[in-house]
Amino acid sequence: MSMQMALPIAMIPGNSLIHRITPLPKMIWVVGYIVLAFSTTNIVILYSMALFAFLIAVISGVTRPLLKACVILVPIASSLLALQIIAPAVEKPWTSVGHIGALALYGNGVYYGFVLLGRIVASLIMALVVVMTTHPSDLFTTFAKLKIPYTFNFMLAMTLQLIPVFQREVGIIMSAQKSRGMKGRGFSAVLPSFVPVFVGAIERVQQLSISLESRGFGSAGIKTSYRQVKSRPSDWVVAIVGVVAIATLATMSIMRGTWNLSTVILFPHAFVFWLFVVAASVFAAVILVTVFYMFKR
Amino acid sequence: MPEPIVIFDDVSYAYPGTEELALRGVSLEIQAGEYVAILGLNGAGKTTLGLCVNGVIPTMLGGELTGTVTVAGLNVIEYPVREMAKVVGMVFDNPEFQMSQMSVAEEVALGLENAGVPYEDMKRIIPETLELVGLSGYEERSPLGLSGGQQQRLAIAAVLAMKPNILIMDEPTSNLDPIGKQEVFDMAAKLNRERGMTVIVIEHEVEVMARYADRVIVLDKGRVIMNGTPDDIFTRVTELATLNLRVPEAARVATLLAEKDLWQGPVPIRTEPAITAVNELLGATHA
Repeated sequence: MSMQMALPIAMIPGNSLIHRITPLPKMIWVVGYIVLAFSTTNIVILYSMALFAFLIAVISGVTRPLLKACVILVPIASSLLALQIIAPAVEKPWTSVGHIGALALYGNGVYYGFVLLGRIVASLIMALVVVMTTHPSDLFTTFAKLKIPYTFNFMLAMTLQLIPVFQREVGIIMSAQKSRGMKGRGFSAVLPSFVPVFVGAIERVQQLSISLESRGFGSAGIKTSYRQVKSRPSDWVVAIVGVVAIATLATMSIMRGTWNLSTVILFPHAFVFWLFVVAASVFAAVILVTVFYMFKR
Repeated sequence: MPEPIVIFDDVSYAYPGTEELALRGVSLEIQAGEYVAILGLNGAGKTTLGLCVNGVIPTMLGGELTGTVTVAGLNVIEYPVREMAKVVGMVFDNPEFQMSQMSVAEEVALGLENAGVPYEDMKRIIPETLELVGLSGYEERSPLGLSGGQQQRLAIAAVLAMKPNILIMDEPTSNLDPIGKQEVFDMAAKLNRERGMTVIVIEHEVEVMARYADRVIVLDKGRVIMNGTPDDIFTRVTELATLNLRVPEAARVATLLAEKDLWQGPVPIRTEPAITAVNELLGATHA
């Protein structure tokens, strides 16, 4: 096992158009995406947003790592859709589209299933693209400019920084435990390594706090920043376009009562039936694979 | 004669929640520009002594301190650690535990940022400091991706950037391989000789200390029991042995030979003169 697992969500170095945008406009887009995603139930808007975010990922050249990180969507999507078909989150009466044994399947919830999924997919992709194209230090410098308290900012940065460290530490401790004949794979092997990792973490944090204080960390005076984030006119354009586009769509949605298309877009019964079969099988497979790896010797 | 830069006057200290004193009536003086090695077994009070100099004890860690520690004319009790940081830079044994930033340059910048140094000055100081520790060109690398020796040199750079007068290194090479050790000690020696920086090293590596240090202070159970030049201290082989402390091999071998009347003259503490002396001795026997 490699000791240095790459963090699935980290900056992918590059020099694309998107990489060169400063963090603030990007943050505006992420926040805007989340606001819009939750102010509409229009799946055309939601999936257009997801598609647009994906196009940005393609332009940035982060498609592969993005798709890797999006694996997390598989269990979410499959369980969400399967559940909406068994137990729709809409008022009764429900129209049955078929049966599998004693299990009745309904078509009413499918639209809402896709809405929920669309919100997650669109926001997630946009957020990932921004994380993958922004240097964390620039991000924190921007936070600092926005008057987010220094300690809080540092805490966030430190957390990001420590994840790979702890991953490596878990790896080392697991290897040590394997060499003493303990299980070396799966979740049940990770569990006993938690105590040593946490003890190590406390020690590390104590040492770090002394080291930081020795470098004037607690200083009350004005702090300066080595990383300089300079906005160019193009950054303003990106920010303004983002604000205008999102505000327009959000207002239009809210004016039309979330612009719901559930009465317009109807799903054929066969489609719902097969959607359930596929979603349920995928979800079952995810669970089986997880359980298999958990108890694998 | 200039005022000593570090003065311990009858200092005793107990960590919070303990009765036992970690330092017992320590009095010593360190002159500006000196290279001082502090030796002692684990628990002898070496690290405690170091932490007193930069004020982490008692300001950060609490506990009871009696006596006075004066560093560059400042009574450490009266100043927060962040103020002392401008005078004293301290690096610790585990370099990785001292890294907190995403890149080498930012790691060096941290202390400067905290001190409010303007960006234009940082742009000049950071490359200078990295050059000094031999890490030029590593600016954008992640500190966690460096080797142990490089990390420790970075940790040193991070405190050097703040231009302290005193550099304290607490077992700086205990996690390093021989090359890493060499890198760190060479650098400390260079800073001491070329920049007149006061260097205080807490170390077990007696060979290295015999080579570089101007003065050796031996602690045992919180007391200063020896304080003198390396030549004075490291030739007291039997005394150090009763304290379970190592002495340089050269001194040990020469003392053993002297006991059997096979060695004349002063006991060497560095390896090279010992080799020359042994060769002469062998040459004399063979002739």
